[in-house]
Amino acid sequence: MKFYVCIKQVPDVDAPIQIKDGKLIQDTDRMVLNAYDASAVEEALVLKEEHGGEVEVVLVGPDKAKETIRKALAMGADKATHIATSGDEDYDSATYANILATFFSDKEYDVISCGKQSQDTDAGLAGSMLGEHLDLPYATNAVGLEAEEGTLVVKRQGDAGQEIIGLPTPCLVTCSNDMNEPRIPSLKGIMQSKRKPVEDVALSDLDIDESSLQPKTKVTGHMEKPEREPGQKFEGEPEELAQKVATLLDEEENVI
Amino acid sequence: MMDEKFDCIIVGAGIAGLAAAMTLARNNMKFLLIEKGEFAGSKNVSGGVLWGHDLAKLVPEYWKEEDGGWERFINHRRLTFMDDQSTFSVDFKSSHFNEPPYSGVVVLRSKFDRWLAGKVQEEIDKSDYAMESFIATNIKVDEILMEDDKAVGIRTGEEEFHAHSVIISEGVNNLLTRQVGLQDDYVPADHMLTGIKEVIRFDQKVLEDRFQLNGLSGMSNEFVGYATDGVEGGGFLYTNRDTISLGLVAGIKDMREKQKSPHDILNTFKSHPVIQDTIKGGEVVEYSAHVVSSGDKRVMPKELYKDGVLICGEAANLLMNAGKAIQGMDYAMRSGILGAETIVKAKERDDYTSNTLKEYKQALAKSYVMKDINNFQDAVHMLHNPKMFKDVPNLICDFGRKFFTIDNEPTKKSREMMAESIKEHSSYWDLIKIGLKGAKSL
Amino acid sequence: MSTLLTHIAISDGKIKRSSLEVLSHMRQLAEANRHTAEAVIIDAEASNYVDEVKKYGPSTIYTVEDPIFENHMNTPLLKALTKVMDEAEPYIFGFGSTESTKDILGALAANQDAAVLSDVSEFELTDEGIEAKRPVMAAKILSDNVAEGDRILVSVRSGSYDLDEGDADADVVDIDFSIDDSEIQATLREIIGASGDKIDLAEAETIVAAGRGAKDEEGQDLINELASVLNAGIGASRALTEAGIMDPSLQIGQTGKVVSPQLYIAVGISGAIQHVAGMTNSKVIVAINKDPDAPIFDIADYGIVGDLYKVLPPFIEELKKIKG
Ligand SMILES: Cc1cc2nc3c(=O)[nH]c(=O)nc-3n(C[C@H](O)[C@H](O)[C@H](O)COP(=O)(O)OP(=O)(O)OC[C@H]3O[C@@H](n4cnc5c(N)ncnc54)[C@H](O)[C@@H]3O)c2cc1C
Ligand SMILES: Cc1cc2nc3c(=O)[nH]c(=O)nc-3n(C[C@H](O)[C@H](O)[C@H](O)COP(=O)(O)OP(=O)(O)OC[C@H]3O[C@@H](n4cnc5c(N)ncnc54)[C@H](O)[C@@H]3O)c2cc1C
Ligand SMILES: Nc1ncnc2c1ncn2[C@@H]1O[C@H](COP(=O)(O)O)[C@@H](O)[C@H]1O
Repeated sequence: MKFYVCIKQVPDVDAPIQIKDGKLIQDTDRMVLNAYDASAVEEALVLKEEHGGEVEVVLVGPDKAKETIRKALAMGADKATHIATSGDEDYDSATYANILATFFSDKEYDVISCGKQSQDTDAGLAGSMLGEHLDLPYATNAVGLEAEEGTLVVKRQGDAGQEIIGLPTPCLVTCSNDMNEPRIPSLKGIMQSKRKPVEDVALSDLDIDESSLQPKTKVTGHMEKPEREPGQKFEGEPEELAQKVATLLDEEENVI
Repeated sequence: MMDEKFDCIIVGAGIAGLAAAMTLARNNMKFLLIEKGEFAGSKNVSGGVLWGHDLAKLVPEYWKEEDGGWERFINHRRLTFMDDQSTFSVDFKSSHFNEPPYSGVVVLRSKFDRWLAGKVQEEIDKSDYAMESFIATNIKVDEILMEDDKAVGIRTGEEEFHAHSVIISEGVNNLLTRQVGLQDDYVPADHMLTGIKEVIRFDQKVLEDRFQLNGLSGMSNEFVGYATDGVEGGGFLYTNRDTISLGLVAGIKDMREKQKSPHDILNTFKSHPVIQDTIKGGEVVEYSAHVVSSGDKRVMPKELYKDGVLICGEAANLLMNAGKAIQGMDYAMRSGILGAETIVKAKERDDYTSNTLKEYKQALAKSYVMKDINNFQDAVHMLHNPKMFKDVPNLICDFGRKFFTIDNEPTKKSREMMAESIKEHSSYWDLIKIGLKGAKSL
Repeated sequence: MSTLLTHIAISDGKIKRSSLEVLSHMRQLAEANRHTAEAVIIDAEASNYVDEVKKYGPSTIYTVEDPIFENHMNTPLLKALTKVMDEAEPYIFGFGSTESTKDILGALAANQDAAVLSDVSEFELTDEGIEAKRPVMAAKILSDNVAEGDRILVSVRSGSYDLDEGDADADVVDIDFSIDDSEIQATLREIIGASGDKIDLAEAETIVAAGRGAKDEEGQDLINELASVLNAGIGASRALTEAGIMDPSLQIGQTGKVVSPQLYIAVGISGAIQHVAGMTNSKVIVAINKDPDAPIFDIADYGIVGDLYKVLPPFIEELKKIKG
């Protein structure tokens, strides 16, 4: 099976961040592979190990995102395409989906996997947009994948429970991190990743005119979420604490 | 080709490891630098002033970089004695220090180490071994592979990698140094300290005004006395771009005996009226803690090398913690450079045995690193003397209070005031002892 | 005058409250800006829900009724939604942020060439479109966003708006719908763990959430008992859903559900940002954790430092007494 996995480089949400003039600043500049995409890569590798085939990762992003591509290659992906952008643009999910759709328009594959959302923005849109552009059967929020002849069987977490869906290939799926625990690259993996092919593609190579990529949505500012103040903390004898807090919830808060 | 031996494997991408790696890359060596943290710097906690000029050797004209890894250069130093209410400072500021190469720069390790690792990578890319030298993160070295008591490589998990030499720059928890038999397993607890640090953010303008900073100039301030609430150790404050690093180091054994936690001591320090004023309006954005060694020569490894392996940086206990400031990063950097230079020589001679590697120790002995460490041992020992972090600061502050009080009483001569303060806080005899020791050590 | 259309989601034979929250807000926006608020119900038995939706005052209710909507499948839902958009020509099309919405929102936007903002916590109309706030960076930060154009899709986090009933005089328009099996490439083979009579966490008034600290059987029993005394929904941290101890649908947080109950009791949960991302909007948060430095205490109104096995039994007794 030929897998394409769309991976994105995102700022590490665990790193300290601050807001200056409405802009998000992360001065350690720590960028990571989107956790949901790491799960998508992992799952593709597992299926490849079971059924054979090839895993190729695709990333749209600036030069420094190469590091993230290397990470996926170190995990075990076979090759990569890097669609380069300047890094100053403020693309939304739709813009990335458009670029990716153009890239995939002349490719052959069995499955395109995406993360179910970007860890930093939690948008959760690009995957199904890409499915629609490419007119592929798709499923989102997958928590498990299995391959059958000509069919990808997706277990997805839906509102009413887990839906088991058969998608004829070629198809698209977006992955939840509840699907697996992505492997940590081994030292051999890291060393081999340096020799794996990474194809550099410019937007112009895809006949995309950058000025046509006007996003319809824009982020105009950021603010810190009004923090919850820590309330009272009780230590001591369990019985006493239990009684005290239960009474407070009943009499002060009226939530019992 | 891939499985061919490396010239060297460096364990730990802290200051020592990165300095060694940069030196190896510049000398066109094929090496592997392995770091267990998710990225270089992710596990590292320093207060941090990096003293000296070695950084300029590794990254020439680093100050010209738009957004280099460092925060501010030091042109203002202050040593503060404190009791529970007052502070008495010795303060030195000079425009003499305003021009590069700077004599000290403040760094935040999570940023600095990552930046330096990037520089090393650039150097690797320029070398003949662009495809065969690696920086690998998120990999923990579990064992140094030994054959006939000679280091021949490393093991991580199931994987083994071979090399002509290994540089161990694993920092203060030097398990591998012990594994290869260069250090005893038991290090007495009174040689260990805990360092804790908060990064406190301000509006940059507020910070610059409060500390009278100009452009990228910065201040370092060490504290003796109440800062550690009666526990041996000292406090520090360094200015970064728009944050300060505020923290302290405190003896682990002494803390245990006095039943205090680093966290409590830091809170006491922060609630001192003078510190309160200093940090007003700031927001704590990071908190971290790390063990740091005392720099006592008695707990240095038995030897810094053996066939195929060298120990650099704090793994070799190369550190000075003598109350006035912690110096560990500069020693780590120099020892990493000297270690790597020795490996370069070993490659030229194709002799990685102790015969060549002993030159590392000789070079270190000739450098300021060992000279400092030898010269300041008495000061290090004094760190354990409770008078140093309690009575003396109290006395100095008490004297200060008397000296600067104008209360419509006939003013005494300062000599009298000093005598009164000494009577209250310490006996003459104790003071003379400390004075003699101090004078000898510093 | 433009149309502000709201999608009314049905799950388990019930209207999702989050859709009615959106409809309430949309109707208020329509009233303030001289637009019209309309609603659409797409379900196997869509007409059953019309009366309930009418209470929230849309001027038109579209229904699309077909047995295919018995269970969620994205292809038929998308086809229905595009038909509705052709018919109603909405300027703004609002959704409650359910899993089913997330499944189609991007695709619908791509199909309609519409601007889209997902999972917003509030939004207002502007001259050019909408202005919305979205939690980002694992909900540590709120971002300001604008979406411009003549068709804008927006999905709204549950609990963002209060329900508000309005003038109940709606026209009902049934939209003709049929779909050929050949149009649907995907096959829905099975649904496991259908929620049945479980309490929907997104709508629960009280939630008891269990973390790694309560992973053994004794812990689970205590959690169940506490929940039953309080008539609460049970949630979990990822540590428990990942370990297979709790059903994945119960996960609360960045990957899981966003909840906003009156009372949230976190038992043996450390308070990782990704968990907190899903529950900070709870009115009252109680945390029980044996580690006094656990980050959950930074956001808890009432923190009990202690071993849950020792604290929960007397706590449950006490609550029983209060409940009488
Ligand atoms: C609170 C505090 C304040 C300080 N302030 C100052 C100061 O102001 N100025 C100063 O000069 N010094 C200061 N120091 C001391 C200084 O931080 C250290 O001396 C210095 O970091 C030592 O550098 P190193 O490279 O030897 O070790 P480290 O910087 O500790 O680096 C060791 C690296 O090795 C990695 N590692 C360890 N084991 C393995 C393994 N098995 N496999 C792979 N990787 C491994 C670690 O993750 C780490 O990245 C301070 C220390 C503390 C704790
Ligand atoms: C992209 C991404 C998305 C994620 N999404 C989610 C999400 O949606 N939801 C989610 O929950 N997590 C999510 N996570 C995982 C999250 O980061 C944490 O790992 C997880 O929330 C930890 O669960 P926990 O608090 O139960 O476990 P732990 O962090 O292990 O905490 C267990 C706690 O129980 C306490 N404890 C133990 N024993 C007792 C006892 N006897 N009595 C009292 N207290 C006790 C301990 O002190 C500890 O604080 C996500 C992570 C990533 C990277
Ligand atoms: N720049 C990009 N390069 C590659 N894939 C991307 C990019 N942006 C988004 N994706 C894919 O879309 C998913 C996230 O969509 P969204 O949450 O809408 O940003 C990611 O998990 C990726 O699989």
